[in-house]
Parts: sequence; structure tokens; C-alpha cells
Amino acid sequence: MISAPRSRVGGGGLSGLLLVALPVLLLLWLVLWPVLQAFVGTLYFPGKGFSAASYVYFFSDAYSLRNLWLTLWVTALTSILRVAAAMPIALYLRFRTGSIAALVQSLALFPLFVPSVLVAYAFIRVLGPNGIVDTLLVAVHLPKLPSPYLQPAGPIIGLVWEGLPLTLLLLLSGLGRVSTASVEAARDLGAGGVTIFTRIILPRIQSSIIVALAFNVLGLFSAFTLPYLLGPASPEMMGPYMQRTFSDNADPLNATTQAVITFAFCAAFGLIYVRAIAKGRKGLR
Amino acid sequence: MNRREFLMVSTAATLAATTRFASAATRLDMYTSSDANISDFFSNIIKPAFESANSGTELNVVIARPQAALDAVVQRALAALSAKADPQLDFIEQYDPLLPAGGIDAGLWTDFSKAGLKNYGTLNKLAIQTPYGLPYRGSQVLLAYDTTKLAKDKVPKTFADLVAWIKANPGQFIYNRPDKGGSGNNFVNRVVHEVSGRDPSKFKVDNFDQATADDVLGKAWAVLNDLAPSLYDKGAYTAGNTASLQLLAQGAVTMIPAWSDQALQAIAKGVLPETTGLVQLTDLALCGDFSKAVIPTNAAHRDDALKLADFLLSQEMQTAIIEKLGGFPAVDWSSLPKDLHDKYADVIPSSIPTFPQGKWTTAVQDGWYRNVAPNISRT
Repeated sequence: MISAPRSRVGGGGLSGLLLVALPVLLLLWLVLWPVLQAFVGTLYFPGKGFSAASYVYFFSDAYSLRNLWLTLWVTALTSILRVAAAMPIALYLRFRTGSIAALVQSLALFPLFVPSVLVAYAFIRVLGPNGIVDTLLVAVHLPKLPSPYLQPAGPIIGLVWEGLPLTLLLLLSGLGRVSTASVEAARDLGAGGVTIFTRIILPRIQSSIIVALAFNVLGLFSAFTLPYLLGPASPEMMGPYMQRTFSDNADPLNATTQAVITFAFCAAFGLIYVRAIAKGRKGLR
Repeated sequence: MNRREFLMVSTAATLAATTRFASAATRLDMYTSSDANISDFFSNIIKPAFESANSGTELNVVIARPQAALDAVVQRALAALSAKADPQLDFIEQYDPLLPAGGIDAGLWTDFSKAGLKNYGTLNKLAIQTPYGLPYRGSQVLLAYDTTKLAKDKVPKTFADLVAWIKANPGQFIYNRPDKGGSGNNFVNRVVHEVSGRDPSKFKVDNFDQATADDVLGKAWAVLNDLAPSLYDKGAYTAGNTASLQLLAQGAVTMIPAWSDQALQAIAKGVLPETTGLVQLTDLALCGDFSKAVIPTNAAHRDDALKLADFLLSQEMQTAIIEKLGGFPAVDWSSLPKDLHDKYADVIPSSIPTFPQGKWTTAVQDGWYRNVAPNISRT
């Protein structure tokens, strides 16, 4: 009688391990193994020994550093803009219901289903030189806007729009944890909108914001299509730079070095994400 | 018939059917890494024509983009050659037969001059650079411009005139990043030719040396940096051939370098307006090239691949290359109808300068990113 539940617990543990075995093995094989291979391959050369020359080159090459710097600030700015743009929509959707809210939600989630190549070409048609915006402005006798196409702002605008849905979904799930009762209680005590947001809502969705930021950073760091099609030729973001070094310059060593450095930054943000998740779970218990 | 019998019978029938089809149809594996207009041309025009002319042969068009993907396939073929295995590759629509290094010496590529092709003799002699690659279509970079803003008689015809025009009309010219498309790349190559005495033969696949490159390319960067402030947006560069065409189509710029085939196709489809003009520089043309098809000697269906090679040089397919693709033929114009020659007189080249792949191209492209692209003033 006593041993039966125990064995069930043991069996459950084993089948649980079996359930996660496939993804874990895939992760080892398709992610961790290539990372290790890249890391070792850029530092150890069979027959020649250890050398960190490619890393020394990267960090002493002004051109490479400028690309890394651009990637960092585009990533930072775009992540913040995404959260800033998604927050009002998320708040609206959390506290309103009805057909207009449903329409807003479907419009906000629409970019999720648009491939980034289409976003890029649509962007050029709309915001590009002599695009739809310019045509409309000219029609009402206003001067044309300077187009962000091929400017640093180009990929940022494109990336913000493209990443809005995921950020919105993450924030909405966080807002689900804010009880309507506590908001109403605060309102009954005379708290204004800003106070409710900063004192009641923000503390509850803090971990969601961190998760959203971390997710965005990971995706943005490796962004390729939009910076490639909408951004200036130079400086380049790390994605296009790595691709160009690998295939155009036929230089796998430096391309791999760039990839390892990029991965190191992403891993740091990954760590922040894992911490936030762990903290969030503790908070729930 | 119960369920089990039904399953057994239907499985047997399916097996019989698949093996029968497999034995009846020879599948010719053809690879391409060219732009979509070329892969579409093969899927929609060459495939049906070739299959109806050779019943029992199926042309399998495999798209291997980007170039690096095709390089991997060729490496596999080279490995298969030494292992005497099937390379699973019968025909590549466009590949440099000088690659991979040592490939020709190892006997990887078929020598077309000895392959007994019926139509080999009709080839344009300008086009044959090596017997290991079969030229079958050509294209050249030229200047496409908006005739509503720039009259046909005022269009620049020499490089010096072009530079003067660009500076006199700031913001009206753009070329794409040299590694992202041949139109911008060959514009940059034309600058390299200009500063080195307009002699394309100075640059060869095997004569790269750093000192000459530093000297010549340094001068080329000076010319390009001098032009940069007069380009669209004070020095912006599009991300590819089609992005340049799009800016021309939107009227944002007046002139761009463009591939002849892409420009002609764009005009035919209405992507570019009818008022688009095309012009080639007369002091030295912008670079162009013939696309060379290759066949590995160890291809499992080498005889059928040779049939396809011969078929591409037939009058019917060469005419299709002109009319449907906007390319120019690899065979001599004398073996094609005369009215075609008159219609496409604008793009028929008198000379086709080339620029070597390999180290020279890498030096030009990476050097451009480091020396020209960053010099942009946004004020």
C-alpha cells in the first residue's frame, strides 16, 4: 500500500525525463555542439596550437567594432521602443472588451503573420522615396518627408513593427496576473491612472517586461532581412556582416569569431531571461 | 476483400507503380543559384520544352541559393569523383569551371569542345573563355535612365561625362552595394578599370597581388568617395539589383547601373515605365559576362545532360533567351533570325569586358565596405 505510490512517483520521474529527452538531445546536437565547435575552432588550430588572433583582430578592428556597436544600440533602442509601443495597446486590451478591442488585437497581432521580406518591400513602397506617404503629402500640398529608407532609422521602424505582436502577447500574459479587483480597490481609494500603473500594475508585470526585453534582444541581435534591405550599407548589423564575411570574403574563421562574440552577448541576455523566469516562478509560489 | 487484403493489394500496386515510373523516367538533376528570373525561366520554359523533346526524361530544377549552397554541392561532386560515387548532380546552369581549385586538373568538368555537341560550332567566339564551361546566355551591365528627366541626346556616353553628370545632378544616381548584386559591383569594377588605364586584361583570376591592389583600389576609392556626396541621399547604396530598379521605377533617382536582362524584363512587364532608356558607355563598356553551364564528368546522366546543353544552344531556346529572358544569345547572331537582331540592337554588345572572380573581387567588395561605404555625411 505504501510502496505503490512511491513507485508511481519514480516512474513519473523517468517518463518525465523521457519527455524532455528529445528536446534536450536536439539542443545538445544542434545548438550546444556547434557552439562548442565554433568556440574551439576559432581558438585551437590542429598542428599549430592555440591562438586568439581572430579575436584580437575583431576587437582591434575599428570597422568590426563599429558594426558591433551599431548592433548593440539598434537592439537596445528597438527593444525599448517595442515595449513602449506595446504597453498602451496591452493595457487597453486588458481592461476593455468588445468588438473594437477585438479589432485592435487582430490589427496588433497581424505583423506576426507577415514575412519580413514583405515587410521590407511594403516599407519601401509606403515610406520610401516617392512612396504612398509622399504621394498623400503632395496631394494635400505638404512637403515630402525625408525618407528613412537606407538610413539607420529604416530597419528600426521595420523591426519595431515586426516584433510588436510577440511583445504584446508577453505583456498581455503578464497583465493577466493583475487582478481587476486590486485596480478597482485602488481606484476607490482615489488613485489616478498614473498611480495605478506605477504602483499596482508595473510591480506585477516586472518579470514579464524583463522576459519581453530578453526575447527581443535575442531576436534582434541576429536580425538579418530588415537591416539588410532597409539599412545603410555601413555600419552593418552583425547578421549581414557575418553573412558577408562568410560567403563574400570566403573567410569562415573571422565569420565564426563574429558568431561566437555575438553568441556571447546573446547568452548573457539569455541568462537574464532564465533568472527572470526563475524569479517569476518563486513569486508564484 | 477485407481491410488487410485491401491494404496489401494497394501497397503492392503503389510499389509497382513507383518502380515503373522510376525506371521509365530518367531524372536529370539540374542546379541553379541564379536570381529568380533565371530559375523561373528554367522551370517554366526550358523544362517543358526539353521534356517534350526528350520523352522519358524529367528535368529536376534544383534551386541552390545562395552561391555558398551551390559551392557545397560542387564540393560533394568533387569528393564523389575521387570516391567513384554518384555526385547526384548532372548539370549546373551557371558555375565558374575554374572552381573549385584543382577541379579541372582532377577531371571534374566535361570538356565541351570534345563532347560532340551539334550546336557548339554556332557559339559566339567572344563568349568562349574555357572549353570546360558552356556559355549559353549573356548579360551586361548598362545604364538605365528616365528619359522624361534626361533627354536621350544628353545622356552621358563616357565615364568622364557620367561623373560630370552625377555631380551636376546630385541625388539622382545610385548603385547597389557591390557584394549584393552585379549591377553595382560592375559599376565599381568599371571605376577600377577607369583608374587603371581602361585595360580589363590587367586583372586575371591568378594575378592578384596586394601591392598592385592597394595602389589601384586606393585610386578607385578616391573616385568613388568623390562621387558619394552627389549620390542619392548623399551616399546611400541599395541592397541589390532589384532595389535599384525600384528606386528608378519610383522616380526617386534618374539613373542607375542595371543588368540588361533585368532592365529589359522590367520594361516588358511594366515594372519600369516605357520611358526608360538604356545606354552603354562607349569608351569602355561596363562589365558583363556569359553564364557558363558545367557538367561533371562523373554525372550519372551525363549523356542526357549533354543533350540539355545542346538543346540550350538550339535556335528555339536561344530565341527564348532573348525574348523571354531579355538576355543576349551565346550563339552568333548570324544563326538567329535577322528581325531579332534589329529589335535588340541597343543591347547587342560590341565588347564585353570582364572582371575576375576570386581574390580581386573579394578585395574590391570588402575594400569598398571599409573605404567607401562608411564615408557618408548625413548633414
